[in-house]
Amino acid sequence: MKSVLRSAEPMFIIGIALIAINVLLAFLAPWISAYDPIASNSEAALQGPTGAHWLGTDMYGRDVLSRTLNGGRYALLVTFLATTIAVAIGALLGCLVAFLNNWVDDVVMRVVDAILSVPTILALLVVVAVFGSGMWVIVLAVVVVYTPAVTRVVRGAARSVSSLDYVTAAKARGERAGPIVVREILPNVLDVVLVEYAMRASWVVLLISSLSFLGFGANPPAPDWGLMVAENRTALTVVPLATLGPIVALATFVIGLHLTADGLGKKLGVDRAMTGVQ
Amino acid sequence: MSIDASVSGPVQAPAPAGAAVSVENLSISYAAGDALVPVVQEVSFSIAAGQTFGLVGESGSGKSTVARTLLAQLRAGSKVMGGTVKVGAQEVFSLPAPRLRALRGGTVALVAQNAGQALTPSMRIGGQVHEALTSHGMAASRAQVLQALDQVRLPNVKDMARRYPHELSGGQQQRVSIAMAIVARPDVLVLDEPTTALDVVTQAAVLRLIKDLCQELQTATLIVSHDLGVVSGMADDVAVMRTGRILENQPTAALFTSPENEYTRELLRDVPKLRTRSAPAATAVPSEDEGPEDEAATSEVLVECKDVTISYNPGGPPAVDSVNLQIHRGETLAIVGESGSGKSTLAWTLAGLRGATSGTLRVEGGSAGRAGGDLGKPVANRSRELRRMVQLIFQNADTSLNPRRTVSAAIRRPLRLFGTVPRSQEKARVEELLTEVGLPASFGKRLPSQLSGGQRQRVGIARALAAGPDLIIADEITTALDVSVQADILELLAGLQRTHGLSTLFISHDLAVVADVADRVVVMKNGRMVEVGPVEAVLAGPNHPYSASLLASVIEPGDLDLPSALSEEQTWMDDPDGGWEEPGDGHRIRKWKDA
Repeated sequence: MKSVLRSAEPMFIIGIALIAINVLLAFLAPWISAYDPIASNSEAALQGPTGAHWLGTDMYGRDVLSRTLNGGRYALLVTFLATTIAVAIGALLGCLVAFLNNWVDDVVMRVVDAILSVPTILALLVVVAVFGSGMWVIVLAVVVVYTPAVTRVVRGAARSVSSLDYVTAAKARGERAGPIVVREILPNVLDVVLVEYAMRASWVVLLISSLSFLGFGANPPAPDWGLMVAENRTALTVVPLATLGPIVALATFVIGLHLTADGLGKKLGVDRAMTGVQ
Repeated sequence: MSIDASVSGPVQAPAPAGAAVSVENLSISYAAGDALVPVVQEVSFSIAAGQTFGLVGESGSGKSTVARTLLAQLRAGSKVMGGTVKVGAQEVFSLPAPRLRALRGGTVALVAQNAGQALTPSMRIGGQVHEALTSHGMAASRAQVLQALDQVRLPNVKDMARRYPHELSGGQQQRVSIAMAIVARPDVLVLDEPTTALDVVTQAAVLRLIKDLCQELQTATLIVSHDLGVVSGMADDVAVMRTGRILENQPTAALFTSPENEYTRELLRDVPKLRTRSAPAATAVPSEDEGPEDEAATSEVLVECKDVTISYNPGGPPAVDSVNLQIHRGETLAIVGESGSGKSTLAWTLAGLRGATSGTLRVEGGSAGRAGGDLGKPVANRSRELRRMVQLIFQNADTSLNPRRTVSAAIRRPLRLFGTVPRSQEKARVEELLTEVGLPASFGKRLPSQLSGGQRQRVGIARALAAGPDLIIADEITTALDVSVQADILELLAGLQRTHGLSTLFISHDLAVVADVADRVVVMKNGRMVEVGPVEAVLAGPNHPYSASLLASVIEPGDLDLPSALSEEQTWMDDPDGGWEEPGDGHRIRKWKDA
């Protein structure tokens, strides 16, 4: 890892730094924010930046900086959980069907096609409308809509690996599909999987924030980036920072993920143009 | 420009005035990080019009890098550190871009190794030849295109011109790329491993064609090859390269009869030879061939194949067509044939990677009281003992080892899987196996990328040995290796076979290698066995016409000419009545009729 960082491009390092700062601030938010993010104070409503409130306050007099710091916690947690599960399942499934290369492959890939044909945000809205907006509901819904995309990308990479001689050698030894996938194929598509993780995470965090923005994610008065944008956009001309704060936070995180994905791709030799979909 | 004035002397040949190509003191380095790695150092040679100059060397010797400089082509990151490359009177690296384009293909033409990749897949053959003409400002009529195709002796040129590259065989593709190279009447022809991807029979035919054309058109030709035989048959002068330097530069006959350099002598010694003729080379090369062979081979049958037929798709012709053969305990049985002859399919079926369509394959009880079994079943339906008994070594050691796993993990896996030794002894056993294949025990910690090609192949052998097999299937295991490494690997395998009493099924297209290692040989063509017998008997003849053409196509170092034009077309057909001729001593030849 050390050598990776030393020879890395500056863009890659900036990407990693942006992610690290966002995650760190979200993690430390309860200890470093000056105000309770949900405590309203009608005296101090709609203030510009002051010494007491660095980014001003919103229409309920809540401190924008404290809310922005805390606002990433929900989105980042859901993103981490959903992306990890989706990439883990997708990577294993992709390697497995690529290795089997028989009717299972056909069936799985047709199901994947079917799911991919449904617009992501619509599918999520339906799920939330039916099952409510609990965190695990959203995590599972995101996993269901994103696993197919991961499966397809990883399968593409794994197909070329599974025709190599060391996989044939494992078959000739009589190894079962499980050990072959885990020992022989997966380690050799790990580069694709890592890049896929970074890319998917950026999609997921935007999706979660969109849901909150539409009122289907985090519930008021909880601090959340998407929700904050929705709440404060009516006061955009009065306290622009209340909208800009969460937007900047979200944007830096997404940009960080993209830079990291690009950097990883170049570093590990993964060409998104060759393996990516969507 | 006299044609036969090839009085090139020792290493630093002064360029004769008016040579078509002269390379002087050429040095090229490759930038790796901050360091400059020299890949070519002070190389000098010249080629007169009508002459052929050969560059031989192992992979990484810089021979291809030198060849490509005639087209002023360098790999990205490479730099000319000094010296000149002149074609005619022009220094190629100082040419402006438009003149350079005229030089490439116009004055100097290249025939690359893999014609299948050198041709544009979406363009018809005729169109590509047409383009080769027009892009050098030559008028191109349809008649000229057809004439060019006719010149490389392609059959039925009108039809050929309409086809796409994938509709041609490998030999035909290479002919098309030769036609494209010579159609603009270049002064210099660069052949970079022109026949490495071809079968022996096709190779002989294509080389014959190139040689005749070069003489006819009086081109100066540079041929680069790792194959000493090819260079020997083609070139007037030969230079041997190693680590970027020319070690020796002599007229061909002199080089092969009295090599001056120790490395050249080693190379010549390591090349397996089919015809151990009393060539003058033999006097220079101390004859220290392998000692008297232990007659480990017995008549006890280990594997018996009866009427084995393997089809890929039910309707089509079978890849392997009713093959009957036996592998005796302790012997090396070689299967020889061109690509598509079904030899690898048969091997893979024995290894259980594919089921047989019909017929039986049986392995008899193993050494340590093991039960025999049916090898017609794919590996998933075989017992653990049965899987242990048959082990595979792959052609390409680069892809047969998982790049993310250490050497010791690769060897340990079969130990664990087959329970060959208790877990506590695995580590010791891995080290033992590494030592046995001639690698230091400390190599266990390395990843495959930290090994050379030959070392990787040794690991592949150790992995096969780890299972404790009775039969080893070696599928073209030396094809990807340099001659000297190949000799070491074959020696290792022969030694292990003796000490472990193994039987080996040796798949190869190289008759010389087969003659070296095998006890008996099977010749396959179109999925059928056409000849089987002890190596000496098959080499001595009489032969099936296909085996005869294989034998005739072999070009050995020291052969100063090529086999006369052989037909690539099949001139025989199986006797419809079937049956075999048996000249005796287990030598059997399928009956045939002239087609």
